[in-house]
Amino acid sequence: MLAKAGKRKFDEHEDGLEGKVVSPTDGPSKVSYTLQRQTIFNISLMKLYNHRPLTEPSLQKTVLINNMLRRIQEELKQEGSLRPMFIGASQPTDPLGDTYQEAQPAFSHLASQPVQPTDLVSTTPLESCLTPASLLEDDTFCTPQTVQQNGPSSKLPSPPPTPSPPSVQPVKDSFSSALDEIEELCPISTSSEATATAHLKDGPVASGTLKPEGTQESRTSEPKLIDSLPGNFELTASTGFLTDLTLDDILFSDIDTSMYDFDPCTSNAGTTSKMAPDELLKTLSPYSSQPVTPNQPFKMDLTELDHIMEVLVGS
Amino acid sequence: MWRTLRVRLVVLRSCLNCICHVHCACAVWCARTSCVADIISTVEFNHTGELLATGDKGGRVVIFQREPEDKLQGHVRGEYNVYSTFQSHEPEFDYLKSLEIEEKINKIKWLPQQNAAHSLLSTNDKTIKLWKISERDKRPEGYNLKDEEGKLKDLSTVTSLQVPVLKPMDLMVEVSPRRIFSNGHTYHVNSISVNSDCETYMSADDLRINLWHLAITDRSFNIVDIKPANMEDLTEVITAAEFHPYHCNLFVYSSSKGSLRLCDMRASALCDKHCKLYEEPEDPSNRSFFSEIISSVSDVKFSHSGRYMLTRDYLTVKVWDLNMETKPIETYQVHDYLRSKLCSLYENDCIFDKFECAWNGSDSVIMTGAYNNFFRMFDRNTKRDVTLEASRESSKPRAVLKPRRVCVGGKRRKDDISVDSLDFTKKILHTAWHPTENIIAIAATNNLYIFQDKVNSDMH
Repeated sequence: MLAKAGKRKFDEHEDGLEGKVVSPTDGPSKVSYTLQRQTIFNISLMKLYNHRPLTEPSLQKTVLINNMLRRIQEELKQEGSLRPMFIGASQPTDPLGDTYQEAQPAFSHLASQPVQPTDLVSTTPLESCLTPASLLEDDTFCTPQTVQQNGPSSKLPSPPPTPSPPSVQPVKDSFSSALDEIEELCPISTSSEATATAHLKDGPVASGTLKPEGTQESRTSEPKLIDSLPGNFELTASTGFLTDLTLDDILFSDIDTSMYDFDPCTSNAGTTSKMAPDELLKTLSPYSSQPVTPNQPFKMDLTELDHIMEVLVGS
Repeated sequence: MWRTLRVRLVVLRSCLNCICHVHCACAVWCARTSCVADIISTVEFNHTGELLATGDKGGRVVIFQREPEDKLQGHVRGEYNVYSTFQSHEPEFDYLKSLEIEEKINKIKWLPQQNAAHSLLSTNDKTIKLWKISERDKRPEGYNLKDEEGKLKDLSTVTSLQVPVLKPMDLMVEVSPRRIFSNGHTYHVNSISVNSDCETYMSADDLRINLWHLAITDRSFNIVDIKPANMEDLTEVITAAEFHPYHCNLFVYSSSKGSLRLCDMRASALCDKHCKLYEEPEDPSNRSFFSEIISSVSDVKFSHSGRYMLTRDYLTVKVWDLNMETKPIETYQVHDYLRSKLCSLYENDCIFDKFECAWNGSDSVIMTGAYNNFFRMFDRNTKRDVTLEASRESSKPRAVLKPRRVCVGGKRRKDDISVDSLDFTKKILHTAWHPTENIIAIAATNNLYIFQDKVNSDMH
């Protein structure tokens, strides 16, 4: 199922990107419009979290991208179809889609597990998991303190990354079939990566709470998600620029860190790079608790991740 | 008919090339293609057109001087030679934010010439500097107490007194920093503009505009502040700002939502409330996800007359009459064929490119850049437009620029270039027009081209 979903997503992507006019009026069909919208949404998210290292992203650009995201969100809200975009976004009180209900059991099941509900991936549209995922990844490693910095990051295989997250699933997870495939493709993926990606998945959910450890919390925070997400975007815009911001550190940490982590260019990876992925994992927790600047140890990880994504996406 | 202008160049850096002679030569000053630091980030003629300054990503400023007429007997006037080059800004690091501050020169503005020396303002993202450029072709010789190198003489050898004399020497251009205006901006400075009172200037960043006195560096006045109390409410930023050419109390600033705000400093000290808002309602037939992004104004310029304003957004240039706020009086399509490619352009970030625009000396023609090293000119009277290309091939001796055409749809003529083969890495963002003559300077990544319309003043 997973593979299927991935494929579908990929196709969408192609459709959306290639030169079709995005305007609803032009759009030949509602479907393609939705696809394009989702593609744009994904691209926007990727843009927000990919920056050149250590440089302040252009505020103008960030604001424009944020406005784009907001606009799309508005549309989605009006259509009542927020759910497909953000897994956790749908409020419990809302009339739940099938996907959501399916996901529920997964949640409860997961409560005991450190790693996120992989099931979500299968049930929900890939994009939902994927886009936020990038953010979340950082989350895991990042501490709130890092928030202020604008870490730019290397370019991921931009929009196509969607399919990749599922691929990275932790071996330990309930995931299984998809995982096997993935592993074959990329033997490189190590447990540390797996955890990282796992966070990715719960990303949408976790975004509300943003605590790295917070998978469990994320569940509780679900209801808030809708509100919190928009907030996130805005935050990104302001990150790093405003030292005077009195925003939730949590939110911030999410965003900023991601930029750092993704950056393959930062050279500092050296020291930690030699470590085995497992070791990396171990080192994670200390880092998260400390006020660390950039999470250099994970650079290696992430670049590998990127690579994996590329392989998966077939780019 | 535009010809590349004859330019003789002095090789300044190892990476400079010189193309010259014969009839045309385009400018230039070509840098290593691989060197990002050489990418030209701003171009500006001074008020007489005698000097042309360029700034680059490496923080350097290169000034070209037009060859004086008397040296060019029988030739068409107009060679530009390298006059001076200096490092204006250095990379810095903001330790509080752990961010690098790039040395890239965002803007250069010349001050009206007050004496023999020239002055210009240059700015990077944060710091504005005032530079004085002066010439020296004589030096004093024959001091009593020091020798030629300036070292003190052994007093025992001084047996007679002499009067120092000025001796001619090779012309030397001295550039010295006069003022450094720092700590005025939290965000990235995108514009500076010298006021017509010649005493003040303003600098605009993403959210604020400051007013400075040219002689005072430790104080500036905030005249516009659009920063919301809560940054989450931020949906609009300032993209460019300029003083009115005559009325020292008026200035305009443009926003990322496509509007222009004219402010009068007499109204209040803080001009948060504009006195005029110029905005065109969105065309519903062209609405798309990218409507806002492509309507974001990347540059705004008052006409020399002060009557009109020229704005550039992603796909068009517009001329606004100061007296009409509801819509521009003229709109010209720069590359409308990109409208169907906006999604790709969004993905590769090109949609955020900040194209500038320029008026000719008589405000009758406007010019702006595009992709594929193309630039466009629009004649406001005849409504004709032309696409020209700044390339090293077309800038060979005696070259006459051939109009280029981008073909849309099936009917493709010879020499047409199809939309799909446009090179989006070659973009002309910065252009400048000589204040009185038909000479233009075009910055194409790391090359500077100077073209002159020799035949007639109107274009083809």
